[in-house]
Amino acid sequence: MRNVVRGQMKIQQMAVMIVAVFFFFVLVGLFFLGIVFKDVKGSAGDLQKEQAISSLKVIADMPELNYDSSWSMCVDEDKLRVMSGNFGRTYDLFWPVASVEVYRVYPKFDEVKKCPGVGCNYYEVFNNGQRDLKTYSSYVSICRKVRESGSTYDDCEIGKLVVGVKQASSAENR
Amino acid sequence: MGNRINKFGQQEIVGFVLIVVLVVVGLMVYLVISLKDSPVNDNSVAVGNILDVMMKYTTECAIVYEPDYDSFEDLFKSCYLGDRCKNLGMMACDYLNESLSSVLGDLMASDASVDFYELDFFVGDGGGLLKISEGNCSGSVSVAQRKIVSGSESLVVRMKICR
Repeated sequence: MRNVVRGQMKIQQMAVMIVAVFFFFVLVGLFFLGIVFKDVKGSAGDLQKEQAISSLKVIADMPELNYDSSWSMCVDEDKLRVMSGNFGRTYDLFWPVASVEVYRVYPKFDEVKKCPGVGCNYYEVFNNGQRDLKTYSSYVSICRKVRESGSTYDDCEIGKLVVGVKQASSAENR
Repeated sequence: MGNRINKFGQQEIVGFVLIVVLVVVGLMVYLVISLKDSPVNDNSVAVGNILDVMMKYTTECAIVYEPDYDSFEDLFKSCYLGDRCKNLGMMACDYLNESLSSVLGDLMASDASVDFYELDFFVGDGGGLLKISEGNCSGSVSVAQRKIVSGSESLVVRMKICR
């Protein structure tokens, strides 16, 4: 009888140890996975950003906005002026996105001033009025031809192209 | 008899503690190694985009005559050649340093996620000509570089951003 009790005790001890070791290794595994997937999340974020920039490149390089076909990510300020005016409305069905906006970011500005206007820094090329948009942005050059003292030169500034797309979940609900 | 059972229990506890200590030491070593090598993206599209746009920016420096203003790309070459901005009455390198710091400062200030940035301008196989940096790096590093050809020399502009 005593042997049976001792055996049961040993089995209980072993069971408790096995459970403790199992939980310990599960916790260690979770900790390890957490560290590994933290890097994966960061890499996924970087990839998403790079993919967004590549997609924005397609829009910036469209002949409707592009300054010079040999210059990538460079928009023509005169075209921006035309496309953000009344003429741009005829292109409403052309854009594959919900909104296209261009901001002048250097020199820095404190207040957004819509173009056309004196000292303006923001062109709204297209906006179909949709809400809950996810926006992607990338730096672009805003260039124009300037005539000074009888010669012409390219005057380029730094801007940001911001494109809005309908978020996937809300688009599916529609 | 009760003592023997206790002894077995103590042995198992000592074994468990040993396993815990070994695993903790292993994890510490892993953590130290993984935290030391913060991930570096050597050819970042986002940083390359900033460099490309910055290179095209038209500065106020005219080396030969007005209005033949240099873009930053031309200004890097002018700085390497030791030219002078004729209209501003200052050396191209001095103007490059001043204007580039202002442009980068404003661009990086508009992106709240950037903790640190560094721009290095150097000759392909020689020493550095210009270095601009600000902030402290603690997160992941993204790097991109562009080559500028000036005569037979290859100039390199490398930018590093920490988020």
